[in-house]
Amino acid sequence: MKKLFLPALAVVFFVSESLFVELWPKHLWYEQYVFVPRFLLIFLLFVTIYGTRTHGMVYGVIFGLLYDVVYTEILGVYMFAFPLIAYIAAKVMKWFHTHLIVACFLSMVFISVLEFYVYGIQLLIGKTTMSFEQFYADRLLPTLLVNALFLLVCSYPLKQRLVKMYEREE
Amino acid sequence: MPQFFLNKRLILLLVSIIFLVALIGFSLKERKELTWSEQFVKDTTGFVQFLFHQPAQLVAGFFENVQDIKNTYKENKLLKARLEEYVMLEAEVQTLKKENEELRAVLDKKESLRDFIPIEATVIGRNPDRWQETVIINKGEQQGIKKDMAVITPSGLIGKIQHASQFTSTVQLLSAIDRQNRISAYVQGKDGSVFGLIEGYDDKRQALLLKQVPFDAKIEKKQLVLTSGLGGIFPKGLPIGEVEEVEPDEYGLTKMAYVKPAANFYDVDEVIVVKRKIDAVQEGETK
Repeated sequence: MKKLFLPALAVVFFVSESLFVELWPKHLWYEQYVFVPRFLLIFLLFVTIYGTRTHGMVYGVIFGLLYDVVYTEILGVYMFAFPLIAYIAAKVMKWFHTHLIVACFLSMVFISVLEFYVYGIQLLIGKTTMSFEQFYADRLLPTLLVNALFLLVCSYPLKQRLVKMYEREE
Repeated sequence: MPQFFLNKRLILLLVSIIFLVALIGFSLKERKELTWSEQFVKDTTGFVQFLFHQPAQLVAGFFENVQDIKNTYKENKLLKARLEEYVMLEAEVQTLKKENEELRAVLDKKESLRDFIPIEATVIGRNPDRWQETVIINKGEQQGIKKDMAVITPSGLIGKIQHASQFTSTVQLLSAIDRQNRISAYVQGKDGSVFGLIEGYDDKRQALLLKQVPFDAKIEKKQLVLTSGLGGIFPKGLPIGEVEEVEPDEYGLTKMAYVKPAANFYDVDEVIVVKRKIDAVQEGETK
């Protein structure tokens, strides 16, 4: 039962992104702005920071692949990005103390990194013609705002859960 | 020793970048069908999404209902006014339908591009990174859905099936940028219809672009744009939207019209996938 906890949580985060976008009231800012929920990335980073790097990277590969197959239908983009970000995050955490504020700050940084990376790839393969200013104002800032709100609400319970779980394992 | 490890990681990184490029190349290729493994993954996650979707929808629906109640009085007034018009229209439609049937019987023409079999489906997911606007619905090949079928809501056309797997399928909305996303359409004019192609979407104006319209064609604002059924897969007469503005296109040889879509692409919960009756008949014959 305990072993199933982490995968189940990952699935919940995976599905929650799609649910969030779908259930958001569409007359509220939905058409002008693009805000992308990056809950799964936040989850992966927290697992990397409070758990182990291996877990972060393995979940990154699996759920990155799921993300590509189910949502975007362009294979490889997230499957490559998620584990790489988890790896870099683990490296960076050697310089910092493990603290909730640091974790949240890192999450915000890596969400921007991921947004830029995906924007770059979309430009490269010609699936978008969005200009940089448009990307910055209509996409990046709303995305950061939404995820900051999510962190404000969910980061503490998520951290508590993960810490408790990894303590028990030891 | 550390040098060696560093190298190994570097090599791994390079190999995965090559892998990434290969995979992206593979998925950008025009594919008729998804691989069976992709279909399997999609259907499995589709099932999980469906499980989560129902309770979440209920909760969200409750809040929406509260908001709806606020508007009820105003809407009720408006609808009552419309009701009288509706009765008139209904009567007219009935007589026209009957007449049409009789005339068809006279001509001995049984099939029409207009007839279709509706397949109702529920939206169970959406692409969260909205680079491509797609939604996932809970019906697939097993229910008779195929690639490129039209997807509508009661108010009008919203997109087409991008890929169908066994029990779920992905719908590409009309607002997605895609050069291949052409739809043969016509404008219902006063004297005869004007044909054109829906090619692309203007994000800023939130309007579809109707191109390749002959230069001397007479199009006015507020005229209806419908699918023509000549493209091969869509049936005839699905409403797309109404003309907002007409201007000459970049070379000045043809005209281009901005079409305001009739359906809201963003606010979709229940959709209808449209299967053309002519195709169904032909399928039956070949079997």
